[in-house]
Amino acid sequence: MSVATWVNDTLIRDPTERRIFAALAVITALLVVGVFAGVIGPRFLLFQVALVGMYALLSLGLNVQWGYAGLINFSVAAFWGLGAYSAALLTAPNSPLGMGLHPVFGFLAAIVVSALVAILIGIPTLRLREDYLAIASLGLAEVIRLIILNERQWTAGSSGISGIPSLLEWLPLTGAATTASIIVVLLAVSYLFLRRIHRSPWGRVLRTIRSDEDLAKALGKDTYRFKMQAFVVGSVVMAIAGAFYAHLNLYIDPSDLVPLTTFYIWIAVILGGTGSNRGAVVGAAVVIAIREGTRFLNDIAFIGNLGLDVAPLRLLFVGVLIILIMRYRQDGLLPPKDELIWPSAQKESSAASRGAAASDGGVVTDGTTSGGPSDGGKDQ
Amino acid sequence: MSNDGVYEGAHLDKDDPVLKTRGLEKAFGGLVATDDVSIEIERGTITGMIGPNGAGKSTLFNLISGFYEADAGSVFVNETDVSDMTPPERAHEGLVRTFQTPRRLEGMSVREAMLVGPGPQTGESILPLFFSADDVTREERANIEQAEELLERFEISHLIDQPSTDLSGGQLKLVELARAFTTNPDILLLDEPVAGVNPTLANDIKRFIRELNEEGQTFLIIEHDMPFIMDLADPIIVLDQGRVLMEGSPKEVRTDDRVIEAYLGGAGP
Repeated sequence: MSVATWVNDTLIRDPTERRIFAALAVITALLVVGVFAGVIGPRFLLFQVALVGMYALLSLGLNVQWGYAGLINFSVAAFWGLGAYSAALLTAPNSPLGMGLHPVFGFLAAIVVSALVAILIGIPTLRLREDYLAIASLGLAEVIRLIILNERQWTAGSSGISGIPSLLEWLPLTGAATTASIIVVLLAVSYLFLRRIHRSPWGRVLRTIRSDEDLAKALGKDTYRFKMQAFVVGSVVMAIAGAFYAHLNLYIDPSDLVPLTTFYIWIAVILGGTGSNRGAVVGAAVVIAIREGTRFLNDIAFIGNLGLDVAPLRLLFVGVLIILIMRYRQDGLLPPKDELIWPSAQKESSAASRGAAASDGGVVTDGTTSGGPSDGGKDQ
Repeated sequence: MSNDGVYEGAHLDKDDPVLKTRGLEKAFGGLVATDDVSIEIERGTITGMIGPNGAGKSTLFNLISGFYEADAGSVFVNETDVSDMTPPERAHEGLVRTFQTPRRLEGMSVREAMLVGPGPQTGESILPLFFSADDVTREERANIEQAEELLERFEISHLIDQPSTDLSGGQLKLVELARAFTTNPDILLLDEPVAGVNPTLANDIKRFIRELNEEGQTFLIIEHDMPFIMDLADPIIVLDQGRVLMEGSPKEVRTDDRVIEAYLGGAGP
């Protein structure tokens, strides 16, 4: 599949999406110009890129659970924290475990621990109605935070763990550039993995469960297995984000595990478009832009002169944005597609008629788009 | 078949029953919704199930398909005891049902909604998506083809690209029927297939059910629309107050005093 086809098929589906991507491109360009003009420090910008990447991973993880399968998980921060603490405890030489292992082991431990915890919480709740997982996960988040806070002999408690090693220090890049590159790679790999399982018969069963679980059961789908798999996959992605954060920030303490992180990730998924992988990534970028961008509002002379401390109002901005989205774009910035067929099984005819259907809706009408998916048919 | 008021119950001497229940019971608190129900569904028939509101038809469907756990009794599909199986396991044994009020599948086209039916599919596990992608592609192509053929046959192929959330109630019932058929069931349980469907579409649904039946598909159908079910089904099982009142041909049912009594109420015996 050519790049142009991919852009057509994936990025530019209707005029609003085109505008959203244009806006993102302009903002990115401004940031780059800002760096060259010396207004923005490159280290600062790269750190923000790493943060966006990490939030995007978290959003992708929650999107698997809530967006694909309709599982309500309020312990995003807990799974992220499990990942961060697994990495920190195994790799930091002065952690209570004091092992100082290679970061690879930290990431592996993050994956194993988060998968185990996800299974343990899933066994009693995933056979029940969806609200039970919501309640249990709310409790789990607090339990994990309190265990980490209070079991000092294992986790160093509120003093936190410092001295976590940086990743890939042998690369001929600055530390900030290295971590930013790593998150881009992690994000790309996760995205491609999730995209493939989302557009598959597996993902289709999850989307059926989300709309009508009894229907999926009646058609012979073991819905418990599917929900468990989605819950574990999402939780592992969150833990990977956590492990990355430990190596990004080089220090971690229990105050990082506050429920606010979970809240931000939910906002990112809903803003971006529930069920959409692209939406999760863009939603995460928007949330970080608001969270970090509002720090500087007081420095703008006009706002500073108002005599009002604007920066702490960032939650208000998030709220306003949510209301605007609800009002003008209910399915989120980049909602999922109306049809997700295993790409290599798409036929020429169905692809063409999909293009026709799109033009019926008064959206994309140029010939390249209807040609796009049929190219995808040859892609293996 | 006589009208002397003697309890006859269902006929339990079928040659080749695809579905059998024995002594099914279910109570909700003090209310006995299903009371010692034993029925048999002969392979190749369209069996109707009628009864006044609250007679226990839907409860019986839920017991048969495994969505409710029975207090007592057993269910057999092709002589296999499925009483302890979950709904998906029963579906794999060949017992597939539809619902009275199906929900629309969000974010799916009609084509995609059809593809949920066949199973188990290779692509429903994660690892084969990466290591046997060719098998997944082959199966998916075959399933798409089957879906297109069925939609064509049901005369709704023009809907194939529509979001399934845009379907009308009747169209949705048709898609449901087509999708249930893709599971290749031994017996299809339809819960009010024409409830809320306009008469033209209801006639189409009747015709399609009859066609599938002529090709050997067995049906058990709950329906309140009397002309519809009397025209389509034979035999018909009548439930009243959780029990089997009688089983017989549409003509026998229509002229049975107890059935008339059950529907119209009355002083009772």
